[in-house]
Amino acid sequence: MTRQAFMARLRDGLRGLPPQAIADIVADYETHFADGLAAGRSEADVAAALGDPGRLARELRAEAGLRAWEESRSPSAGAAAVFAVLGLGAIDILILLPILMGVGGALFGLGVAAIAIFFGGGVVFAAGPFTGMPGGAAAAILAGIGLMAAATSLGALLTLVTIGLVNALVWYGRLHYRLLKPALEPQTVGGLQ
Amino acid sequence: MPEAIEIQLKKGALELCVLALLSRQESYAYEIASRLAESIGMGEGTIYPLMRRLQNERLVETHLVESSSGPSRKYYRLTEAGKASFASQKAAWTSFSDAVHGILGEVK
Repeated sequence: MTRQAFMARLRDGLRGLPPQAIADIVADYETHFADGLAAGRSEADVAAALGDPGRLARELRAEAGLRAWEESRSPSAGAAAVFAVLGLGAIDILILLPILMGVGGALFGLGVAAIAIFFGGGVVFAAGPFTGMPGGAAAAILAGIGLMAAATSLGALLTLVTIGLVNALVWYGRLHYRLLKPALEPQTVGGLQ
Repeated sequence: MPEAIEIQLKKGALELCVLALLSRQESYAYEIASRLAESIGMGEGTIYPLMRRLQNERLVETHLVESSSGPSRKYYRLTEAGKASFASQKAAWTSFSDAVHGILGEVK
C-alpha cells in the first residue's frame, strides 16, 4: 500500500470524529511515514509495518468515544461510547445485544414512570386542594410534594445506575480491547476488514 | 493456540514497555514504535492508539521540541501519575514473571 492509500483509508475510517482529533491523528501517521522514509524505508514497507488502517481507525475512534464519555457524562456521549466499544468487536454483540436492550428498555421504562409520577404529583399538589380530595387541602399538598420527591429520587437513582452500567461496559471493552492483535496478525494486504 | 498466548502476553506487556522506555528518557512515537517493533515484534501502528489512551489517562504528556530538520516534533514524557503507574506495574510484572519462572524451572 502506498502512503496515499494508507492515509485515505485511515481518514475514511475516522470520518465523524471532531476535525481537530482527525487532524491530530493524521499528523501522527504522516510524521511516522516521514520518519520511516527518512530512515531509508519504502512507503510500502512502512505501511505494512503500521498495519490495517481500517482497524487502526476503529481503535482510535473507540478511544475518542471513551474519552468523550469520560469528559462529559451526557447521554449522547454514553451512547457513542457504547457503540464504539461494540464496534471494536471486543464484545460478542449477539450475546450482549439482547441483554443490553432488556436492561436499556427497563431503565427507559422506569425513567418514563419517574417522569409520570413527578407530573402526577404536580397535579395532585396544584389541583388537590381545590377538588376536595379526601383528607383535605393540606394532605393533598403534602401528598403531591411526596410524589414529586419520590419521582426525583427515582430519577437520580436511575441516572446513577445508567452511568454505572456504561462505565462497566467501557471498562469491559477496554479490558478486551483487541489493541495489539490486529497488528500482530499477518496482514491480509488490501483486505476489506 | 500458541499464537493466541503470545498475543495475550505481548498485549499485557506493551503498555509496561512503553512506560519503561519513557521512564528512561522522553521520546517520540516513531522511536518508541520502531524500538518495540524490533524487540517484541509488535505492529508499529498500534503505538498511536496506545499513546492516545495513555494521554487520556494522564499517564503521559506531550510537548513539542524544535527540530533542526523539518517541523517540530511531538515528544512524550511520563507524568507523575505515569511514574507511579509504571512503578506499580513493574513490581506486579516482576513478581509474576519470577513466579512463572520458578514453576517453569521446577518442570525442567
